[in-house]
Amino acid sequence: MTMIDVRNLKKSYGKLEVLKDISVEIKEKEVVCVIGASGSGKSTFLRCLNRLEEITDGQVIIDGQDITAKEANINKIRQEVGMVFQQFNLFPHKTVLENIILAPMKTRGTPKTEATNKAMELLDKVGLKEKAGSYPGELSGGQKQRVAIARALAMNPKVMLFDEPTSALDPEMVGDVLEVMKQLAQEGMTMVVVTHEMGFAREVSDRVLFIDEGVIAEQNVPSELFTNPRNKRTQAFLSKVL
Amino acid sequence: MNALPYLLEGLKVTIYIFVIAIILGFIIGLIMALLRLSPIRALNWIAKIFIDAIRGTPILVQLFFFYFGLNSLEFISFDRTTAGIITVAINAGAYFAEIIRAGIQSMDKGQTEAARSLGLTGTQNMRYIILPQAFRRMLPTFTNQAIISLKDTSLLSVIGIADLTQQGQIAIAATFKAFEIWLVVGIMYFLLIYLLSLLSSFLERRFELR
Ligand SMILES: Nc1ncnc2c1ncn2[C@@H]1O[C@H](COP(=O)(O)OP(=O)(O)O)[C@@H](O)[C@H]1O
Ligand SMILES: [Mg+2]
Repeated sequence: MTMIDVRNLKKSYGKLEVLKDISVEIKEKEVVCVIGASGSGKSTFLRCLNRLEEITDGQVIIDGQDITAKEANINKIRQEVGMVFQQFNLFPHKTVLENIILAPMKTRGTPKTEATNKAMELLDKVGLKEKAGSYPGELSGGQKQRVAIARALAMNPKVMLFDEPTSALDPEMVGDVLEVMKQLAQEGMTMVVVTHEMGFAREVSDRVLFIDEGVIAEQNVPSELFTNPRNKRTQAFLSKVL
Repeated sequence: MNALPYLLEGLKVTIYIFVIAIILGFIIGLIMALLRLSPIRALNWIAKIFIDAIRGTPILVQLFFFYFGLNSLEFISFDRTTAGIITVAINAGAYFAEIIRAGIQSMDKGQTEAARSLGLTGTQNMRYIILPQAFRRMLPTFTNQAIISLKDTSLLSVIGIADLTQQGQIAIAATFKAFEIWLVVGIMYFLLIYLLSLLSSFLERRFELR
C-alpha cells in the first residue's frame, strides 16, 4: 500500500526553482533515505511532505489524503506525520515530559495521565526514562534528539520524517540516535530520512534517493546504489562521501 | 501643618493609576503586536498606524487630546482620571506592542516549526510555545517601559489629577516648603521604581530560562 505519493512536486522560492518535478511513491513500512549535496533540495523536499513549505505545484498524498488540497485540514494531517529536526527544536521552557505530552493533550484532548503513561513508555524506549523531569538545557545533544523522536512518536504518526537527525551531534552521540531509528524501522514505521550517514542508509533503508539540483537523479536499493551507481553525479557525490 | 498625609494621598492615586494603566497597556500591546504580525494586511495597518501615531507624538499632547479634545465633542465625556489612565495605557501599549513584536520575531523559527509539525495550530503555538518564552526574555524591557510609564503619570497633574506630583504642589502652596517637599516626592517616586525593579528581578529569577 502506498503511504506517501508525491506527484510532480515543484517548489520555488521566488525565481529560484529548488525542486523541479519530483515524483516518488513510498510504501507503508518502507524506509527511504534521501542523500545529496548540501543545497540540493533535500530539506525542502522533506518539508513539503508535511507542508512546512507551501508547495508551488504538484501533489503530495499521504495515506490517501491530498495534503495540498484546499479543503485539507493541515493541522490534522500533521498530527499523523512526525518530524525530527537537525537542531532538535525541543521546547526549552518545558520539561522532557511536558515536551512529549503537550501535543497529544492539546491537539487530541488526551487526558494527562494517559499522555504521561504513553510518554514514559516512549522515554523508556529511547532510554531516557530517568530524564522525564529534566529540562532540555540539561541534556546532551544525543539525549535531546532521542527526546525529540519520542515527542514525535507520542502522536502515533503514520510516517516519520527525519532531517539530518545526527548532523548536529558529537560523533560519540550519533550511535544512540541511529540505534533508536533502526529499532523504529524494524517495528515497521514508514520513514523518510535525509542523512549523511551512509552506513545507516546502507544497513537500514529499503531504498535510497539521490537528489541533485532539485530532481531525483537516481534511486535504488542501497546495495545497488552504493556499489554500482549509474548516474555520473551520483558517482561523483559518493566518491566524496564514502 | 503636616504635608505627609497629602503626599500619601497622592501616592495612592499614582499607584492606582499606574497599576490600571500598565495592565491595560500590556493588553493593548499584546493585541497590537499580534495584529502587527497577522497575515491579514488590514489588521497589520491598523496596528502600524496606532503604534506610529502614539510613538510619533508627545504624551502631553495625547493627554490634552484625550482630555480636552475628546471632551469637547458632545457625545463624549471622560473624567480626568479616565482620560489620564487612557493616555498612559495607550502610550505604554504602543511601546509594549513593539517590544512584544520584536520578542516574538526574535524567537528561533525552529520552535514554531516543531510545534506546527506536531499538529498544534498557529494560536496554540503562540500560546504554549512562543509567548511564554518570549515574555521571559522581554521581562527586563517590560520593566523599563513600566518605569517610564510610572514617571509619565506625573504629567497627569497638569490636568488636575490629584497624583503624587499634584499633591506635592498643593502641599507646597500650604506650607511653602518647596525644597523638603520636592525631595520627599522624589524619594517616593524613587522607592516605587526601586520596588518595580526588585519585582522584576524576582520574576526573572523565578522564570529563568533553563
Ligand atoms: N526559505 C528559503 N528561501 C529562499 N531560498 C531557500 C529557502 N530555503 C531553502 N532555500 C534554498 O533552496 C535550496 C535548497 O535548500 P535545502 O532544501 O535546504 O537543501 P539541502 O537540505 O539539500 O541542503 C538552497 O539553494 C537554499 O538556499
Ligand atoms: Mg538540509
